[in-house]
Amino acid sequence: MAKIDLSNISHSYNPNDPNPVYALNPFSMTWENGNRYAILGPSGCGKTTMLNIVSGLVRPSAGRILFDDKDVTDLKTEDRNIAQVFQFPVIYNTMTVYENLAFPLKCRDFSKSKTDERVNSVAETLNLKSFLNSPARKLTADQKQLISLGRGLVREDVAAVLMDEPLTVIDPDLKFRLRRNLKEINEQYKTTLVYVTHDQNEAMTFADNIIVMSEGEVVQTGSPKELFERPNTTFVGYFIGSPAMNLFESEASSNDSVKVNNTLIKTHTNLSNLKTKNIKLGIRSEFIKIAQNQNENLIDVNVEKVEDLGNYKLITAKMGDFTIKSKVTRETEIPNQNVKLHIPAEKCCVYEDNKLI
Amino acid sequence: MNKLYIFLKYFFIVVWTVFVVAPFLWALTTSFKDFQSVNGGVTYIPWVDFEPNLEGWKVLIKSPAKGGVDIIEPYFNSLFVTCTASLISIILGTLSAYALSRYTFKAGFVKNNDITFFFISQRIMPPIVLSIPFFLFLSSINLLDSLTGLIVVYIVLLMPIAVWIMVDFFNKVPREIDETALIDGCNPYQAFLKVVLPNSIPGLIVAGMFCIIFGWIDFFFAFILTFTEVQLLPVKIVALNSSVTPWWSLSASALVSVAPLIIVAFIVERYLSKGNLSGAIK
Repeated sequence: MAKIDLSNISHSYNPNDPNPVYALNPFSMTWENGNRYAILGPSGCGKTTMLNIVSGLVRPSAGRILFDDKDVTDLKTEDRNIAQVFQFPVIYNTMTVYENLAFPLKCRDFSKSKTDERVNSVAETLNLKSFLNSPARKLTADQKQLISLGRGLVREDVAAVLMDEPLTVIDPDLKFRLRRNLKEINEQYKTTLVYVTHDQNEAMTFADNIIVMSEGEVVQTGSPKELFERPNTTFVGYFIGSPAMNLFESEASSNDSVKVNNTLIKTHTNLSNLKTKNIKLGIRSEFIKIAQNQNENLIDVNVEKVEDLGNYKLITAKMGDFTIKSKVTRETEIPNQNVKLHIPAEKCCVYEDNKLI
Repeated sequence: MNKLYIFLKYFFIVVWTVFVVAPFLWALTTSFKDFQSVNGGVTYIPWVDFEPNLEGWKVLIKSPAKGGVDIIEPYFNSLFVTCTASLISIILGTLSAYALSRYTFKAGFVKNNDITFFFISQRIMPPIVLSIPFFLFLSSINLLDSLTGLIVVYIVLLMPIAVWIMVDFFNKVPREIDETALIDGCNPYQAFLKVVLPNSIPGLIVAGMFCIIFGWIDFFFAFILTFTEVQLLPVKIVALNSSVTPWWSLSASALVSVAPLIIVAFIVERYLSKGNLSGAIK
């Protein structure tokens, strides 16, 4: 277990090119000991490169990596004491399940009794106990991924367990249970877990800190609540949440109000120092409700569609050219056509050049 | 439709089996015939069609002084040369193939694929092109007409096969296996020996099988590079021929020389059909 510092890390796969393309733009970040982190972003945004840099499979073009303040940038993978689980199960298919799980301990000369104890404990957690003596290659894809996961968890002293979309091949039921197991393992052993995913639900339910990436850039780091309520950029607002954040082209009307389709919306943002006219108002569909007794921040919309999604209703409405989505409870009565919606000022985010003010 | 399919399936299997087995049956019956039986028309069933005798087989173990050819020593020479050269080729070829598959080499315009092609190109050349260089080379190091010389030449001939098969095989073994082994605490050598190599046994077997076949059946170099001290089986079998073709002893020697390959094929087939290759990833 270790605190991991990534200091001014950047990486290009063609660094000698006159115009190198950066898979990771320079960033710095600290992963505290014993926390759960999720790296979230679309495919090709540099998530896996970041993990491979930490595990030592890739040497960064620039920057330093520190484990507990010790520089490990040039340390080989096998000497870093890191565990990594890949997207698809990687098993040693000439070995049994027990031998697979024991392999990382065997490589580090653990005693037989300690190996037995750890393997049994991990097998118990992952429901693999009845397969311990079976050849690993005969198991199903999700059982094989459990073995990969088990090899990551079998060392107690590991600096961090890095997981690269590890639950892709696992069925939803087991996925849910495993995420809970991972959380328990983290709480019990205080293992630093880093979980790469492009699924925001996975990230939100698993991590206490989420790192959102886009095109090689770390765009925001924060708790699930922060990312949800105060996305730093329109990309984060769009990427996190289902449906995505409502974003409206708007213009500043006073120090704290914007005009959207000729309707004045009050916000809690100071708009006195705007430098450009490229302003967007962002509001989550969860915070937009049908107006009751409010008398400001109301917008008139035409309801286009109401979808019943089981535990809530999703209203899709039009205000001029803008499409607005609002999540309401199932019990809410929705008039057929014209509705007044209320936008709470404290939940409004204003973006200048796609960055939160 | 289904019945027609089954009928056609079995029909082609039977035709193919006859096609493969008939020459062996022919050789087997002929090896127990004498001059009269061979020239007396087509016959197949011993004791009914012809009286079997062991003359054809005896010739193979009789000394030349007694009118035989004595293939025992050449037989073991062939086994020794083929196995040793195949083993060394597999070891060297596997190491080269792993390096070519996992590391990037660059010398000017020459890259990994060019190096792999260089290995394969050794087998594209007609053997006759290599005969004079090999002869002069072995002569300069005093290894003409020796088992060691033959082993050296066979390694040169067999290693490209091993490299070619193993590069392709290692390219199909996911890199994540090596990376996982490194993460689990192996150094690169241990990752290769403990994880990648055991996962590559089917590839090693295929490469080994091809090396053994090509080594065992070579006549050309065995003929050119040996004289009196050392002889290999294919050269000795050719020596059986005379003005009157001894079909019986040629058939017996053909069966004896094909026997090791049949044994290898049986072992390999059983092992490959276990499907050890599948399931390392996904």
